[in-house]
Amino acid sequence: MYYFDNAATTDFVPKQVINSVREAMLHFSANPGRSGHKSAMSVTEEIYKIRKKTAAFFGAENPDDVIFTANCTQSINTVLNGTLDDGAEVLVSDIEHNAVMRPVFALSDMGKIKFRKFTTYGLSDDEIISHISCIISEKTRMIFCTHASNVFGRVLPIEKIGELCSEKGILFGVDAAQTAGILPIDMKAMNIDYLCIAPHKGLYAPMGTGILIAAESFIKPLIYGGTGYNSESFFQMPLKPEGVESGTLNVPGIFGISGGIDFVNEMNRKNILRHERRLCLKLYDFLIKNGKYRLYTPRPDTDSFVPVLSFNHTNYDSETFGRMLDEKNFALRSGLHCAPAAHEAYGTMDIGTVRFAPGVNTSEKETEDFCSALEKIF
Amino acid sequence: MQRYNIITGTVTHAIKGRDILLQNGYSKVRVERTAKGIGAYGCGYGIVIDTDNIANAELLLRSNSVKILKIV
Repeated sequence: MYYFDNAATTDFVPKQVINSVREAMLHFSANPGRSGHKSAMSVTEEIYKIRKKTAAFFGAENPDDVIFTANCTQSINTVLNGTLDDGAEVLVSDIEHNAVMRPVFALSDMGKIKFRKFTTYGLSDDEIISHISCIISEKTRMIFCTHASNVFGRVLPIEKIGELCSEKGILFGVDAAQTAGILPIDMKAMNIDYLCIAPHKGLYAPMGTGILIAAESFIKPLIYGGTGYNSESFFQMPLKPEGVESGTLNVPGIFGISGGIDFVNEMNRKNILRHERRLCLKLYDFLIKNGKYRLYTPRPDTDSFVPVLSFNHTNYDSETFGRMLDEKNFALRSGLHCAPAAHEAYGTMDIGTVRFAPGVNTSEKETEDFCSALEKIF
Repeated sequence: MQRYNIITGTVTHAIKGRDILLQNGYSKVRVERTAKGIGAYGCGYGIVIDTDNIANAELLLRSNSVKILKIV
């Protein structure tokens, strides 16, 4: 099978991740942050080191800002549910994943918040900033947006948006599901208050892991329960990080995050980006030359795009085309990719797209084989 | 020297606080589970420290954003 679905989850597991998970399973099996015995405390100390490593990797100031969750969607829900109420207004982009749109819509439906979309499609970075500046109102409490579209790869100018939020005194949350481990992220320099991460993608950690880094001090928990402190009270004190992490942590998964960060640091993030981008460009150039395919973005050879390429065959809808590719052993995601907002913006709502998302382990030859197959079969 | 229990609530704050104190020359410092009754915060974690100047230690921790619930 040729696996080109790394934007959903990577299928490559580096030895650093395997070794870290194995170490956790074999030697760190007690529950961290609960008991005081030596076994529990040794796991707790290791988890603390991983919080520190994660904070350093993303330019966060404090290890206690690092909250481990079950996935990026849970991280996003925690931010939106835990910081906004009283009719606060949040601005989101026109290319958000449903991980953002659905909680925002649900909160709006309950009357807790109001949301408005800002346009990114067809605009330059400066035009996006001008547009956001125009629609910010006195009621705007937060801008929450993706760092890069999971469908079309478009990178949003988060550094400039962060600057604008800082100037206006607005909270800034970022969905970095497609960019953590690929693009540089420095929370402090970029004025990001809440960063949501899917470690099973660009950090090569196991699925079922998520990270929320909350630089802002106030955040209510999404899930209530045991925290390992203040147990005599039914009131849950929202102290970060444990106060936002009720329930037993996924210790092997968190060790996997640590191994993944080591891997990315050893490989060098820039090398990973360069490699995956080269493969996307190879396919992009082939599709243009072939003439039977529709593409939706300019040639993604700049920092305005992550290595995710959406396209369609002119004769098929994306689901049909995706099934045909699967029959030939090419694994690509088709349809709306849980991001109808992005498809609405790009005019592909009716047919969806097929998405090519290479990984660090995808070879040049695999991409060439894919191009050859597209040439011969279709 | 007097022994103090700095109750931080979360274990992460306790470990962070311990590391800060150790880096700043305090040697008799450790993280311990807080016995119920000591701080009236139920179970939890804190920093046990032997020092002559708890006020300085507290200032150091607070200036590094370590959440302190109580010192006993």
